[in-house]
Amino acid sequence: MTTTAPEQVEAPQKGFAGESIPRKEDRRLVQGQGVFFDDVKRHGMGYVHFVRSPYAHAGIVSIDVSAAEAVEGVYGTLIGEEVAALTDPFFEMSTPPGNEIRDYALAVGKVRFAGEPVAAVVAETRELARDAAELVEVEYEPLEPVVDAVAALEPGAPVLHEEAGTNVVWSGTFEWGDYDEALAEADRIVRIDRLYFHRFSSTPLECAGALVEYDRGTEQWTLHCNHQMPGIGIVWMAPALRVGTDKLRIVTQDIGGGFGNKITLHPYFVALCLLARKLHRPVQWTEWRTDQHTANTHGNERTFLDVEVPVRSDGTMLGFKVKAVDDAGAFPRYEPLGCIIWAQVTPGCYRWRHVRVDFTQACTNKSPTAPNRGYSRMQQLWFTERVIDVVASELGLDPVEVRKRNYIRADEMPYETPNGCVYDSGDYARCLDIALDLVGYDSLEERRRDAESRGKLLGLGIGSTLDSGTNNFGQSQLLNPELQFSGNNEVATVRLDIFGEIVVTLGTTPQGQSHETVASQVVADLLGVTPNDVHVRAGHDSYWNSHAGFSGTYASQFAVTGLEAVRGATLALADQIRRLAAIILGAGGPDDIVLEESMAKRRDMPEAALPFMACGAIINVNNAGLPPELDDVTLNCRYVYRPPFEVPDIERKFGNLTLTYATQIHACVVEVDPETGVYEIVDYAAVDDCGTRIHPQIVEGQVHGATAHALGAAMFETFPYDENGMLLASNFYDYHVPHALDMPPLKTGFIESPSPFSSLGTKGMGEGGGAGIHAVCAALQDALRPVGSPIVTESHNPYHRVWELIRDPAASRAGIEVSGA
Amino acid sequence: MEPVTSMRVTVTVNGESHEREVAARRLLVHFLRDDLDLTGTHVGCDTGNCGACTVLVNGAAVKSCMLLAVQAHGASIETVESLAPANGGLHPLQQAFSDRHALQCGYCTPGMLMSAKHLLDHNPEPTENEIRRAIQGNICRCTGYVNIVEAIAAAAKGEVSA
Amino acid sequence: MLLSEVGYARPTSVDEAVRLLAENDGARALAGGQTIVNVMKARAAAPDVLVDLADLAELRTIAATADGGLDLGALATYAQMITSAEVKAARPLIADVAAQIADVQVRNRGTVGGNVCSNDPTNHLPPLFVAMGAAMTLVGPDGERTVRAEEFFLGVYMTAVGPGELLTRIVVPPAGEARDGFDAVTIGADGTCIVNAAVTEAGGQARIVLGCVAATPVLLTAAADEDSVREAVRGADLDPPSDLHGTAEYRRHLAEVVAARALAAAREGS
Repeated sequence: MTTTAPEQVEAPQKGFAGESIPRKEDRRLVQGQGVFFDDVKRHGMGYVHFVRSPYAHAGIVSIDVSAAEAVEGVYGTLIGEEVAALTDPFFEMSTPPGNEIRDYALAVGKVRFAGEPVAAVVAETRELARDAAELVEVEYEPLEPVVDAVAALEPGAPVLHEEAGTNVVWSGTFEWGDYDEALAEADRIVRIDRLYFHRFSSTPLECAGALVEYDRGTEQWTLHCNHQMPGIGIVWMAPALRVGTDKLRIVTQDIGGGFGNKITLHPYFVALCLLARKLHRPVQWTEWRTDQHTANTHGNERTFLDVEVPVRSDGTMLGFKVKAVDDAGAFPRYEPLGCIIWAQVTPGCYRWRHVRVDFTQACTNKSPTAPNRGYSRMQQLWFTERVIDVVASELGLDPVEVRKRNYIRADEMPYETPNGCVYDSGDYARCLDIALDLVGYDSLEERRRDAESRGKLLGLGIGSTLDSGTNNFGQSQLLNPELQFSGNNEVATVRLDIFGEIVVTLGTTPQGQSHETVASQVVADLLGVTPNDVHVRAGHDSYWNSHAGFSGTYASQFAVTGLEAVRGATLALADQIRRLAAIILGAGGPDDIVLEESMAKRRDMPEAALPFMACGAIINVNNAGLPPELDDVTLNCRYVYRPPFEVPDIERKFGNLTLTYATQIHACVVEVDPETGVYEIVDYAAVDDCGTRIHPQIVEGQVHGATAHALGAAMFETFPYDENGMLLASNFYDYHVPHALDMPPLKTGFIESPSPFSSLGTKGMGEGGGAGIHAVCAALQDALRPVGSPIVTESHNPYHRVWELIRDPAASRAGIEVSGA
Repeated sequence: MEPVTSMRVTVTVNGESHEREVAARRLLVHFLRDDLDLTGTHVGCDTGNCGACTVLVNGAAVKSCMLLAVQAHGASIETVESLAPANGGLHPLQQAFSDRHALQCGYCTPGMLMSAKHLLDHNPEPTENEIRRAIQGNICRCTGYVNIVEAIAAAAKGEVSA
Repeated sequence: MLLSEVGYARPTSVDEAVRLLAENDGARALAGGQTIVNVMKARAAAPDVLVDLADLAELRTIAATADGGLDLGALATYAQMITSAEVKAARPLIADVAAQIADVQVRNRGTVGGNVCSNDPTNHLPPLFVAMGAAMTLVGPDGERTVRAEEFFLGVYMTAVGPGELLTRIVVPPAGEARDGFDAVTIGADGTCIVNAAVTEAGGQARIVLGCVAATPVLLTAAADEDSVREAVRGADLDPPSDLHGTAEYRRHLAEVVAARALAAAREGS
């Protein structure tokens, strides 16, 4: 694996930011001393097993838990009827009639996806809970399921939610620029009947779960869990439980991966809260892998229909029109936000200005979706990458040249997209050049011939993607003007302790993104200490008020929201230290004090210094006689970062929806065995630009991981359902994720285009944007040109699909049409 | 002899002997985590694919979710908790993993380390392919394995920070 | 997930093992556990008793037979077979194929006997042993008997091992003039087979055994040239399953290809 050093865009930072320091998290994790929720035990705790629906769609006729409850060692049960009596449905974000959907912690009255929890059994041991669950008798009345979103929209399709009366969760149109003018101006029109982005998920290795305790005295619940967006989790849970938000304490420490699949855990957690309260004992639920696959969350499946792309003969893309159908599964939980979040990257990396999108989201009898890594933007970016590749292919143009012709240019940054989002910085063409260089683009034809001599087909594909970070939640109002969400925030507290220790508390809930380490780098540089002097609390605990409404770790934002919060709190603390030291040391004012080597020193007389330990001691335990101007100096500073957002223009669906945009451009070289469709990635490069890199090794690790997820989805990972709504890939045999031998040699490169919108020039980059999927699709299409130029129209291309493309290229081309304007 | 549904097992874990009455059906991984409070070994799946539960049994890497605790009667088991020396340092593999950023969320790490230890115990100079084969039974969803392979190679060569 | 309640016994002799299997109606042998424990976790099967064979050291041996063949104890693990000098000398392809099964942890525990007795249609070893003409030794309450590999596999997860019987050995004839080859298309590296084929060719004739395309390995014979092998596969009128990894048509096509490639591998010599 090689890494290309970039030409420096800016001078390297001094201090610890920019260095790959040892990670604070590692010490406990490599010793197996991390605390994941299942590691936490409580005296007298009960273990929970959920009884789940074997049907994708059925009425619940009756549930009889008596046999289960009679078993010795079983502590109790919970069924949907109780849930409906004790809780209110979860708050829905859609407009009518989608907002009429009733979503509870357990199925109430009917089941809508196979695996949906119907009852819960709590027992003394895990095994006993599992045994007793088999004794719960549920009588179902099977109903016809609908497993395809397009079919779900057709008249006569089975309706999942009677209260809504339709399977439409949300529907709307988006129009920017002047699409008709684009049509008029075009030399050619490329039409694609259908592109399909498939259903998969990041399957974090640690499954979901929680240990929930209920304090009867304070009526507060404590959840030791792995929820990755607790701020909003509490907003869903508290009203459902009919309590104030302060009655829910969410505690996380180590989380074994989240990737968006641990955001919508509230239904399970509410069931656990009810059980803990009902049974007067702590209850613990650990999700089984099978259940994570069937009944946790998947990423959004999206079908793009009737795609129309006006282009000039030289390959300039003027705009696009598409009808998108998004599949939310049985319950919209974070949805319908996916119906607008794609618009953060409406044009992808390209300069087209005229857009017409008809977007509908439907319910189907499948697992509910959640914001899986790359959420909704990845689907849109894949769409734009397929389009540009098809345009290149059909117009006989070089995919590299067509991209460069259409890429937004570095000198156009910050760039306002057709719908008012602002791409902060980036240089896509330069990243592409680096990627191509890393995979030996110049020798491609030679390699193609060599592959041919061995009976293989070689192809090169490019995947351009953006990772938009730091959401403006006001975009939710573009879907539903009644929603009261906008902006964003994150919190940090930085404190100088009595012995001079610096303690940081974050509102975030990292699942491997190294927040403790990166936060300590920023704090260290601002206070003149080393990261070893900075103690960052592991995990999140809402009890201590270190969180805000949007707190959590999701949507590629820590490097901005988290670090801005840390920075703000640290600057406030630094100011307080200086003010205190100025008075104690008899300096003119705080500007006469510098902070270095864990001391506050007089600038004019550095030997006059107050160690941080002394500062902490004075304010905390030795504060008699301090002047009133120091009354507000507590050395315990909380800062809430609020990014500069406006509520978008609801009428035009226009405005800035995200603060930063990290780039990843990937190049993929595949060799295909035409006889079997089996293919291998023989060369791969990922070039990223996330602005200022606080910790290069961590950034690179995120790029590696995002690439692995994308390659897994491209080649192996899919969650298909049969016509009865049964998931066909419920374990790791059938849902094959990349193992060590599956990964190709991975080359990485980078540039840094600092963001003008964050103090440190950083951009969130944890999701990546699925560039690997885009690149593999492109590489396959390139490889198969000699065998009839099949067009790759699906995001998932396992061996059998590649074989089909080779066997019947005409079938894949049937939906492609190019006409003169 | 007649079949029993529970039995008294004696297992040596990380050099220490433990004796417990355990149900025949109890999986070794749950015995380690819940009965012996050694929570370093993790559960990541229910079909024996992911390897998060990997421990050494009589020196061989095995997935402890596919072994009953009663099968381990009389065996010697090593878990991740055995790697760091008593004086507070880290095992070279652990240090190498940290040096090379071979872990992000850390959930697969204990199992990964035990598979790596098994490899280096038997093959002190592994090739890259041998390293990948050694951890083929350990799924990681965070790192893409890039840095894990480098860390194991570094540990094999003794290229580990102090 | 988690097992139902089960009885457990760990006999110290084959006789005792056979007795336990015969006397307990719902008893199953526990070898490496790499299949049965998962099956029991999913509660797809729930034996009343597990007879743990771990202490039956005599079933763990690998020896050369007098005629240069191989005598594999049923409890020999994949790891053992991979490093066995006897396997390498007699039928080295067995070691090569065993090395493709899953991963190190599974290979440290999984046994050759468990692999053939579980008879999952996607397993590697059943087609291989049928191609090589191996024979299985079974010991039961009525004594010992031998079943040829091609008669051993009866259906999905079903073999000729009867109630109270235990597979003790797999005897593989010496290669002699024969050459062995194996090929597979798998789900990812060393993953589950989508289609596999084992070919043993001798004297211009090929024994072709296809896996993953039927309930049991499909044995075909043909002249040992590519065209004849492909024609034999096409003529076998296969009706393979369709699933997310391939349609029946794709598997039929792959069967032809892997059979041809297994023949080529046999010719190149292991």
